[in-house]
Amino acid sequence: MALLELEEVRAGYGPTSVLHGVSLAVPEGQIVSLLGANGAGKTTTLRSITGGVRWTGDIRFDGRSLRRMHTEDVVRLGIAHVPEGRGILTELTVDENLKLGSHLRRDGPAVRKDYDRVFEYFPVLRERRRLSASTLSGGEQQMLALARAFLMKPRLMLLDEPSLGLAPMIVRAIFEIIRTINGADRVAILLVEQNARLALDVSSEAYVLEVGRVAVRGASDELQGNESVRRSYLGY
Amino acid sequence: MQEFLQQVISGVASGGIFASLALALVLIYNAMGLVNFAQGEMAMMATFIAFTLITRGVSYWIAFPVTLAIAFAGGIAIQRIVIRPVERAPLLTLVIITLGLATLLNGLAGAIFGYVPRSFPSPFSVQTVDILGAFFSFRDLGVITVSAAVLLLIYLLLQRTTVGLTMRAAAHHAEASRLLGVRVSWMLALGWGLASAVGAVSGIMVAPIILLEPNMMQTIIIYAFAAAVLGGIESPLGAVIGGLIVGVTVNLAGAYLPFVGGDLQLAVALAIIIGVLVLKPNGLLGRPTVRRV
Repeated sequence: MALLELEEVRAGYGPTSVLHGVSLAVPEGQIVSLLGANGAGKTTTLRSITGGVRWTGDIRFDGRSLRRMHTEDVVRLGIAHVPEGRGILTELTVDENLKLGSHLRRDGPAVRKDYDRVFEYFPVLRERRRLSASTLSGGEQQMLALARAFLMKPRLMLLDEPSLGLAPMIVRAIFEIIRTINGADRVAILLVEQNARLALDVSSEAYVLEVGRVAVRGASDELQGNESVRRSYLGY
Repeated sequence: MQEFLQQVISGVASGGIFASLALALVLIYNAMGLVNFAQGEMAMMATFIAFTLITRGVSYWIAFPVTLAIAFAGGIAIQRIVIRPVERAPLLTLVIITLGLATLLNGLAGAIFGYVPRSFPSPFSVQTVDILGAFFSFRDLGVITVSAAVLLLIYLLLQRTTVGLTMRAAAHHAEASRLLGVRVSWMLALGWGLASAVGAVSGIMVAPIILLEPNMMQTIIIYAFAAAVLGGIESPLGAVIGGLIVGVTVNLAGAYLPFVGGDLQLAVALAIIIGVLVLKPNGLLGRPTVRRV
């Protein structure tokens, strides 16, 4: 049984349906990419999982159905969702944003260790701890979002386009840390990306969405080697 | 000079009262972008509860925290029962609902307690103490102390505790907060509870000065609006500063401008509201609204 399973999920906004029966699975400790063009339903898939949009079908986390669950309860099961736009609370300081990541944890000593690790991964966040999060650059905000998600100590992370709008060097650094978090803590990751090459590089498995349906599914290295898939769906 | 100092201190005392009610307005405005027109009547209701307790023989300093606890619970109940079902309604609907709530509470208080003004006890004597040659009444000093303590407690709660942090998060960005496991709906209820309790402090502090009756907060709320608008309606600290400025200004205007006297003090508050809205719509500490497009 995979950690996260979507079965024939249909979802949409009001009368507009976006997902027309998406099935996918994220095994424990693995990185799975979700690729596809703009408007294919990648973000809506993530939003369905954490209850940000109404859906039918079934979504199970660790064998337990998430049907009718509120966002905050889904999150409390151990799913950290870094949404489109990163979800930084710009009225608060960097430190306060991080605290919101760890505020539900009761394992004090482990939390302190995780803060040390966060600041080791992202030294810039330590320097800016007391500053308003609104003063951070785009790359720094992405780091903050990732750090905050890490501090939630999730079993699964949903990352929505972590590379969006960032300079290539920063993107590389961020993906290095995504890999580290996955490797060291066995956090499973469902990664939504426009940058297919990058995503296939870090993931073990990938799904390609096309207008709300899974068009292609396969091991990441196979998709990388498959020229026709690359050309028709991944655009490189 | 001494008289001036006395007028300032007495203004600070009224300012503390305005600040408490203004802070209540700001707490709810922050949580839902709504000016709660029922805030004054909620405070009045709480003051009647304190009055009932005290006339039944409960000592003042027990009745005070008990009333705040009841006001807190009442604020939460109002949010859960009246506001929550229409949370997603247009703002105007919510405004009308708070106006309705104000009328309802006012009528309810009239039906239960009547409209005859009653004197409300103050734990502070009206005697004066001589400090540096100026005479300050114990009542003013007591009101200042109580208001300052309450405002400090609220500040510490919001800025230094995890609950306060999640309350601020829920107020600023509900969707992002939910994704961090914050129970946003309960945080809003907590905001109403807190606002209700802080507002109750203003009612209890002002009642000995202006007499207790169902309409007693209707002028006070105008001063509180002026304070909140002056401070920047989104800023708790601004509400406190605004409250003090309004209190002192109104008091000094009443004392030194013959044409204002005691009758036109409310007009001064209204002039402050209009002046701020024209000259600096975001108030002293409010952030200018900047949107990225």
